[in-house]
Amino acid sequence: MTEVVDDRLLLRPAPRRLRLDLIVHRLVLVAVIVGIWWLFSLSVPHYILPGPTRVWEALKLIAGNGDLWINLGITLWRVAVGFVVATVVGLPFGIVLGANKRAGEFFEPVIPIMNTVSSAIWAIFAIIWFGISNATTIFVVFMTAMPLIITNVWQGTRTVNADFIELAQVLRMPDWKVMTKIYLPTILPYFFSGARLAFGFGWRVSLVAETIGSSSGVGYRLRQAADLIQTDQVFAWTLTLVIMMATIEMGILKPLENHLFRWKKEVEAQ
Amino acid sequence: MTTRKKTRRADACASVVKSSSFASSAMDTPAVVQQTCADAGHTSPAISLTGISKHFAGAGGEPLEVLKDINLTIAEHTIVGLLGASGSGKSTLLNIISGIVKPDRGRVCICGAASEEFNDWRAVSYMFQEDRLLPWRTAIRNVEFGLEAGSMPKAERTRRTHEALQLVDLNSFEDAFPYQLSGGMRSRVALARSLVTEPRILLMDEPFSRLDAQTRVLMHQELLRIHQLKPMTIVFVTHDVEEAVVLADQVAVMSPRPGTIREVVDIALARPRDPTLPEVTSYIQRLRALI
Repeated sequence: MTEVVDDRLLLRPAPRRLRLDLIVHRLVLVAVIVGIWWLFSLSVPHYILPGPTRVWEALKLIAGNGDLWINLGITLWRVAVGFVVATVVGLPFGIVLGANKRAGEFFEPVIPIMNTVSSAIWAIFAIIWFGISNATTIFVVFMTAMPLIITNVWQGTRTVNADFIELAQVLRMPDWKVMTKIYLPTILPYFFSGARLAFGFGWRVSLVAETIGSSSGVGYRLRQAADLIQTDQVFAWTLTLVIMMATIEMGILKPLENHLFRWKKEVEAQ
Repeated sequence: MTTRKKTRRADACASVVKSSSFASSAMDTPAVVQQTCADAGHTSPAISLTGISKHFAGAGGEPLEVLKDINLTIAEHTIVGLLGASGSGKSTLLNIISGIVKPDRGRVCICGAASEEFNDWRAVSYMFQEDRLLPWRTAIRNVEFGLEAGSMPKAERTRRTHEALQLVDLNSFEDAFPYQLSGGMRSRVALARSLVTEPRILLMDEPFSRLDAQTRVLMHQELLRIHQLKPMTIVFVTHDVEEAVVLADQVAVMSPRPGTIREVVDIALARPRDPTLPEVTSYIQRLRALI
């Protein structure tokens, strides 16, 4: 072992995500926001800005009669389907466009064009083509998420290190193994950030699509509550969405990303 | 201090192709590892090059002659250095030996088999100038990568991987990611990845040139120690005269534009070779004069 003495091991301690003072900060922030909200609600009619207690009652009502869970489930299902289809189409497309220079050059203008088309326009097209159905929302989510995934995967494919390909070549590694062992791990961080973005956008546009092209789901219930001037329920739905997105982001996506990409050198260290 | 220039006849390797001991691959039969090119009393050199020439397309469309009529025979279990200034085509020659670059003219025989018919490339390892560790794999998984081209069972792969990591003295760092390792340790992992296939021929393209002087000396000792344990033929490319003299049994000095072998010098010195000793320095001076 004497020869190893000269070498330094630069193992860094794993960063502690859940620090106590951070939790306290977050709780204080929430308290401040709720406090301001409450203060404003005192001087405004409840159908314009309902107070926190009123919204809490509305939340209990829709959670108690099952309304909340059914519609949340429907919307989540539509977003998931649109997202999965976008991934299944976007991932191979992105790889092909990145790996094949000619295809990439040919299709390059398509992505920005797709990105500039508003989700509302996709929603209107979807109503024309699919009517009031699940497919409308799924289509809008798909059309929003797919360009984001393609762009990111495309970018990732271009970063594949030619040195690693040469290494696989001298090892006489078959092509499909080069794909799974070198291309895929290189693309994964790009795909992941694209997918996260796509999921967030997909979720937001699904509500737009549901307000105009659906008879169920959170977006539909939001519009219905607004039409009936049940402002407390509008707030209750909104609050649910915020909590759910935050849970998915911080409870699933962020820890997953930290685990998958633990091999990356941390920027803040050194 | 003899100077030799060996030339083998072009049909020399074709005659032993069929009876070559390379019929069974080391990857398929891990228990019996073939360490020799000898077969039924007939011994072939590990590598023989005959009349190798190579052109690349130059900047103005003019073909650029990189290698011209290279003849070289490398005996089994020897360590041979290809020494030359940049532009002497030494890396190209190494790539031709490894089979990833095809020569325009000439014949490459590996263990008595013509390069085109040679089917056991996994017994030939290649170590690059950069360590080329996959950043998303731990040290041990990077070593294992060397075996993943074939279809070796997982248990056998794991056993060999641990063995190779042990050989380079890194078993306590198997779960570290490349960014957590120092340059010397990364180089060791790359060496272990080259050794895990239990190669008969190890080709190295300036493998330690990126390391600091102290670590480079350690890696030289390491390589010589491993060569004692595992008899294999080592061909390395270098522009460092001292490195060539410390490591090699024979040094092929190459001259640039077009790359030719100027002379093959035997280094008849006992190891370890201390570069400050007079007999070692005299070799160094002699080779310097040749470049």
